[in-house]
Amino acid sequence: MKRMVFLAAIAALFLTGAGAASAQDQLPAPSPIEKQLAARAEHVTEVTLDKNMLAFAAKFMDKDNDKEGQAARQMIQNLNGVYVREYEFDKEHAYTEDDLEGLRKYFESSEWSPMVKERSKGHAEGTDVFIKLVDGKMQGLFVLDAEEKELSLVLILGPIDVDNLGKLGGNFGIPKDAMKKAEKKVVK
Amino acid sequence: MELDDLEPKELEELERKLRLALQRRPAPLGLKQRVLAQARQRRLEGRKVQQGRGWVLKRIAASVLLAAAFGGFAVYRQQEERRKGEAAREQVLTALRITNRTLDRVSDHLVDESK
Repeated sequence: MKRMVFLAAIAALFLTGAGAASAQDQLPAPSPIEKQLAARAEHVTEVTLDKNMLAFAAKFMDKDNDKEGQAARQMIQNLNGVYVREYEFDKEHAYTEDDLEGLRKYFESSEWSPMVKERSKGHAEGTDVFIKLVDGKMQGLFVLDAEEKELSLVLILGPIDVDNLGKLGGNFGIPKDAMKKAEKKVVK
Repeated sequence: MELDDLEPKELEELERKLRLALQRRPAPLGLKQRVLAQARQRRLEGRKVQQGRGWVLKRIAASVLLAAAFGGFAVYRQQEERRKGEAAREQVLTALRITNRTLDRVSDHLVDESK
């Protein structure tokens, strides 16, 4: 339900067609701040997949015959890039407001329209959601979520089908066993 | 017909012919060289035939080795591609899992804010 509210908000913003921006298909180079965060983190997950890699991976998702798996495959097939970073810290607030600001500035550009901006007073925590609209179509999603002990950064480039996102509720179309397997392989 | 039946004249004639036939004569000029050259030629031809057979066998062996090498390489490449594909697939699943979790958290924040 909560998820539906969030997706509805994304859909509403994208339907307005506001903030149309030019296409930018290239994934950014890693920010220098990421290195510092990785050094401080207890657990780091870094995933960078460009268009070719996504298309290549999609071929190997053919064996996922369930509807959700197919939807996930369909979604990644059209994407231009996926850039995900997750830092887990053993201490609270192991990052500073400057780190967050640096990350926001690094990924922010005029092409991105802010959708959610949430800040916690007195703590370097907050949530930012930016979307990129091109001709009224959602062409990118950037999420920076800073929790007490966790910092997540998600950048998805390419056409994002909101309906498809909705269909991929729950585990995002990922089979449970595949998730466990993937978790084991996470970069330490 | 026996020798005793021959007339003395005929016998003489026969002896003369025999003597003439058995007379030692020098070999024609260059015969030795021609014989030796011919023998050498035959030896060479025999070797060529043997070499030809060896070459065919070598070619067959080389072809079999090449086919095996190419086959092995193709299998290796296929396995390597599968391994890379599976790794890419797992990376995609990891990325989607983190994205999903992050979006869920953002949704939670939004709902909490709206309350």
